[in-house]
Amino acid sequence: MATTALPQRGYLHDDTPNLGEWIRSWLFTVDHKRIAILYLLAINFFFLLGGLAATFVRIELITPQGDLMSSDVYNRMFTLHGVIMIFFFLIPAIPAVLGNFLMPLMLGARDLAFPRLNLLSWYLYMFGGVFALSAAVLGGVDTGWTFYTPFSSTYSNSNVILTITGAFIMGFSSIATAVNFIATTHKMRAPGLTWFRLPLFVWAMYATSLVIVLATPVVGIALLLVAIERIWGVGIFDPALGGDPVLFQHLFWFYSHPAVYIMILPAFGVISELISTFSRKRIFGYEFIAFSSMAIAILGFLVWGHHMFVSSQSVYSSLVFSFITMLIAIPSAIKVFNWTATLYKGSISYRTPMLYALGFMGLFVIGGLTGIFLGVVAIDIHVTDTYFVVAHFHYVMVGGTIMAYLGGIHFWWPKMTGRMYNEIWGGISALIIFVGFNMTFFPQFVLGYLGMPRRYHVYPEEFQILHVLSSAGATVLAVGFVIPIIYLMLSLKTGRIAGDNPWEATGLEWRTSSPPPTHNFEAIPVVTTEAYAYPPEAAARDAAEWRPGSPL
Amino acid sequence: MAKTSTSAGHGAHGDGAHSEHAAHAHISRGTYYRVFAALMVLMALTVGAWWIEGIVALPRLLGVAIAMAIAIAKTTLIVLYFMHVKVSERATQLYAAAAFIGFAIMVIITMGDYFARGWPPPPGPLP
Repeated sequence: MATTALPQRGYLHDDTPNLGEWIRSWLFTVDHKRIAILYLLAINFFFLLGGLAATFVRIELITPQGDLMSSDVYNRMFTLHGVIMIFFFLIPAIPAVLGNFLMPLMLGARDLAFPRLNLLSWYLYMFGGVFALSAAVLGGVDTGWTFYTPFSSTYSNSNVILTITGAFIMGFSSIATAVNFIATTHKMRAPGLTWFRLPLFVWAMYATSLVIVLATPVVGIALLLVAIERIWGVGIFDPALGGDPVLFQHLFWFYSHPAVYIMILPAFGVISELISTFSRKRIFGYEFIAFSSMAIAILGFLVWGHHMFVSSQSVYSSLVFSFITMLIAIPSAIKVFNWTATLYKGSISYRTPMLYALGFMGLFVIGGLTGIFLGVVAIDIHVTDTYFVVAHFHYVMVGGTIMAYLGGIHFWWPKMTGRMYNEIWGGISALIIFVGFNMTFFPQFVLGYLGMPRRYHVYPEEFQILHVLSSAGATVLAVGFVIPIIYLMLSLKTGRIAGDNPWEATGLEWRTSSPPPTHNFEAIPVVTTEAYAYPPEAAARDAAEWRPGSPL
Repeated sequence: MAKTSTSAGHGAHGDGAHSEHAAHAHISRGTYYRVFAALMVLMALTVGAWWIEGIVALPRLLGVAIAMAIAIAKTTLIVLYFMHVKVSERATQLYAAAAFIGFAIMVIITMGDYFARGWPPPPGPLP
């Protein structure tokens, strides 16, 4: 049973006789690691595409006149950026790439519970992506990623149906992945791997899966209702047809606020792994971090109305939503405080993943605290639909999710590929991204507070200096994103052989070869220790003996 | 399935052992027929209620309450028997319940907003 010997070859090993077979071996694979690589390629493609749309937006905003594109094209450009980044990058990035690759390895399992469902989820993702892309190619959509009614359902003359069909299909991809993670966590843990020995990444993915399974169907139905109203004129959201536009906002944000946690909870999981590994210490307050993920997942379902303070929502509802929004800061703060306490007296090495983790902590705190500003009704009404909001959610999503995604990619790159990347370029690009990010988005807080509305391409001249600064920062940020693509690709050929555990990390994924064999482990591991079982003297010993690789 | 478990299922030490009986629990064919019959009866009741509502002119609230009660009864039967939740393990039952709790949260809070619109009444024009 558990000790069945299986042929062991790296999952990247290729013995196909020709190109056709090789392509087939990838497109019909049910190996979770190969599917993760398929996701990695697809998701990064969409990231670059969304980034391209953002580039056009930032170029347009360099001058206040709106001289590069018309207002209609500008609407379509920022919508393309939003739709691609939210639905096809931020939501699936960490679960589909790192989660798919790591969940079975961390759980000591041979694969996910439903390997074919896993492959289906990738095809659904691609299928949804094709719809969204075809909408863009055929002229785009101008509703913003929020698809607010009745504009989207009645008045917009753009490819609304194609785009929401893409998002609808992609939702099923998320659900398939989440069901797989839940079943795998419940049923396929290695012997001895109790719930409180699970890595915090697994806890985070479990909480994320819970949110995905419960929330995604709602947005699916909401988008379907938009399509029904748009195609057949059934009055659901359009007041002219007897519908209620605020109902759409309720249904949309019932999913889309938890979707923020779908993006950020996996990031929390990654950061817990990085902080512990590069501090050489057991994570501080393991149980609190684990339960805070679950608390965020649950509370996240109760705060959606803070997106609707100016929507004609009742003032009493707004008060309740505002109060619960304050509550959700507590579990988020628990995590940040526990990571900080983990760093205390740790043997911190500033390797590239750790730089991303530290960057994450700084940026997420700014994003989170400005979220509390926005949770207060009085302030929110003042800055609703301004660049203050744009800056806030970019600090959470880009500063949070993308920093963690890149940190995680670097951390597990040796495991995924068997090769080390160039550490010097890694550190440089992490710093460039951090600087570029702050240059891009910090001025937007000021812009928003001064009254610059979002989704406008013509603006008063006094805002130009801040917009130019923001666009310059976006250029720096783009350079920071391109550098890792180059050195990570080069590492596949020229990178140093990583070995099984280059970071001397704990965790079952480091107890198998790099890259792992197809069935992950020669024999199913037996777990006898807690997660992050660094010896108590590890940090002190490292402090005494300088660790190679630390640039500081 | 056996093939899958060779490749994927060998780590199944999580909650698998104590739910072994759940995996083999099943619903008898007779029960399926009885549930099907009950669903047909409920469907007839739905149509009947619609007829009666047209003839007797029931209060709207009562009509909605009757329709909802029948719909809930149908849903419960389908979830418990056709979706096997009744004989599933606890975790599955918990997830099924969580879906309804999530749905209830959405409906109750959203309806709370609708009921509270106009509280307090908007002030008139300033003097």
